[in-house]
Amino acid sequence: MNGFELNTTIANLRDLRASDLTDYDGVYLGDIYCRLYESNFLEQLDDLKEGLHILHDQGKRAYVATYAAPRNDFLPKVRKMLEASVAAGAEAVEIHNLGILRIAHEEFPELPVHVGGFANIYTAAGAEVLRGFGAVRFTPNYELSLDEIHEITTACGVPLELLLHGKMPLGVSDYCFLLDYEEKWRVKCPDLCQKELFLKQGDWAMKSLGKGILSGKDVCMLEHLPRLLAEGHRHFRIEAVSESPEYRREVAAVYHAALERAIAGGGDVDEGSWETLRRHARIGLCNGFYFGKSGMDYQGLRPEALGSLPTISRAES
Amino acid sequence: MMAVPVLLAPAGTLEAVRAALGAGADAVYVGLEGWSRGGARRELGWDELVAAQREVASGGRSLQVALNTIPKPEERARLFERVPALLDLGIRDVIVNDVGILAALRQRFEDLRLTASIGCGAQTVADVAFFRDLGANAVVLPGTVSPAEMREIRTVRGISVEIMVHMVEEFVLLGKCWMPSYVHLKPSPLPAAFASKAGTGETPEGALRGLRQTGSMKRGGVGACFRICQQPWELFAAGRRVDTRLFPSRQISRIADVEAYAEAGADVLKLQGRSLPVELLAPLVRRYREAIDARTIPDAFEPPPATLPAAWAVVGR
Repeated sequence: MNGFELNTTIANLRDLRASDLTDYDGVYLGDIYCRLYESNFLEQLDDLKEGLHILHDQGKRAYVATYAAPRNDFLPKVRKMLEASVAAGAEAVEIHNLGILRIAHEEFPELPVHVGGFANIYTAAGAEVLRGFGAVRFTPNYELSLDEIHEITTACGVPLELLLHGKMPLGVSDYCFLLDYEEKWRVKCPDLCQKELFLKQGDWAMKSLGKGILSGKDVCMLEHLPRLLAEGHRHFRIEAVSESPEYRREVAAVYHAALERAIAGGGDVDEGSWETLRRHARIGLCNGFYFGKSGMDYQGLRPEALGSLPTISRAES
Repeated sequence: MMAVPVLLAPAGTLEAVRAALGAGADAVYVGLEGWSRGGARRELGWDELVAAQREVASGGRSLQVALNTIPKPEERARLFERVPALLDLGIRDVIVNDVGILAALRQRFEDLRLTASIGCGAQTVADVAFFRDLGANAVVLPGTVSPAEMREIRTVRGISVEIMVHMVEEFVLLGKCWMPSYVHLKPSPLPAAFASKAGTGETPEGALRGLRQTGSMKRGGVGACFRICQQPWELFAAGRRVDTRLFPSRQISRIADVEAYAEAGADVLKLQGRSLPVELLAPLVRRYREAIDARTIPDAFEPPPATLPAAWAVVGR
């Protein structure tokens, strides 16, 4: 037992098999944005069962994600997926949608629920309400600062899971605009969103997964681990649903080692770790909203991190 | 005979309230200064609210008040203090945007009629059941929900279902978007008209520090979105610019589907647009009034499907 949990997200069996999970303690299986995502665990239930077995064989905690914005016609499959998850021994399900939360609570009460970032937990009062529907862990809304997050933990003491590194979810759509490019690019869905796609306005950038929008910069909390631990946080996510197996492995290695050092009382980060994170961050590093600033700004001792200078002055001009 | 749906119109000023009533709205919804999503986007001060309620009630119709920010813990008490005054005015219908606030208001004020706003993100039969269980009396669905989906949703008893038949569908779903705050999040002074209540020197309702969070629609206090999604983006694939484009967004107008929604059991047809000027609001409300009345007065209304599709692309609004 590390004294912390480091987890990530993997969308399909191919990526799971290709990923070295040595430095992870748990994995969420499935893409939350789109039913058509390539071989999505949430649609391929035989793959899901195999994925859960693979994780258990490796001694990892096996979690299952669910859709962020379902419609009526998703729900029969969601029920089957939850049933398969229970049967295969999933440790928990991550839920972003309140209707799915109700289904899980009523029909699969044995399955612990982690509330995801799209469920819009902004306050302790919101967390308390969902705790009544069986939730045992919460990812607060990404817009919250560490101070606001601390207010939640102080008020109701629920375990929170925080995005530690990776591209932060910024939005979800009912519509995939990449379909506009099928003919022009001669690439069909579901291969379209496998391309590395960024949307840019000057130095602002976001990553596109078709229906999902993520931050262009990688949220990076490497130098703030002592504070996170001191404030009682123990569950951390490296968001890597759209990343390569190399990203998953190398970034996890950096954070796993850094978390162990921080727990032992050390907060220093070696230059090699920074080089690894900079190499994988296509656009740069940011802190998300953790310090009450615009999500793409970086606050810390490493302002020279690639492309990470504060941008607020530009927005105001 | 099937029930006739209620026509619920928006109003951002007292003049707009009068125009909506004159055009045939059965009910009108307004924002209370400082407490409604969108911040300075046309809200009514307390005195205006009192006048609006007087006019609406004298016509035998009803007024709904949007209290759809997510107040910070220190602001919640002020919100709860305001509710008895609303009830004293005869206003029972309140629109909220957060499960924590909804549950708290339900617990404290059994006379309130609570509506889960469109920002709560309900789209499915399970979502509606969740909000019913939580104590909501009504839930608002986006106009992207079809009459067929509505029919399934109406199998949930014990809650009124509203459909936003006239609205702009942005690319990212309402209540699931942090794109603006990723780019720019900064407390900004409220516009002069809201800086203090005229002649009293009091801080505006819901804005303890006279600030709003520019860049966020849902954070505590008064949020404001600057619609970054409506600005052109450059699309990069594998590091190469391949297009310049806008996110797709649509104006949804389901006027040709009024009959279908009514038959599916929709209780309320709601129109978006608290910021609409009177000269646009009145004909919009009148058009929907005619469409609803056509169900009881044959040939009174001919929907124009050939010239007015259910949704059309919006560029450069």
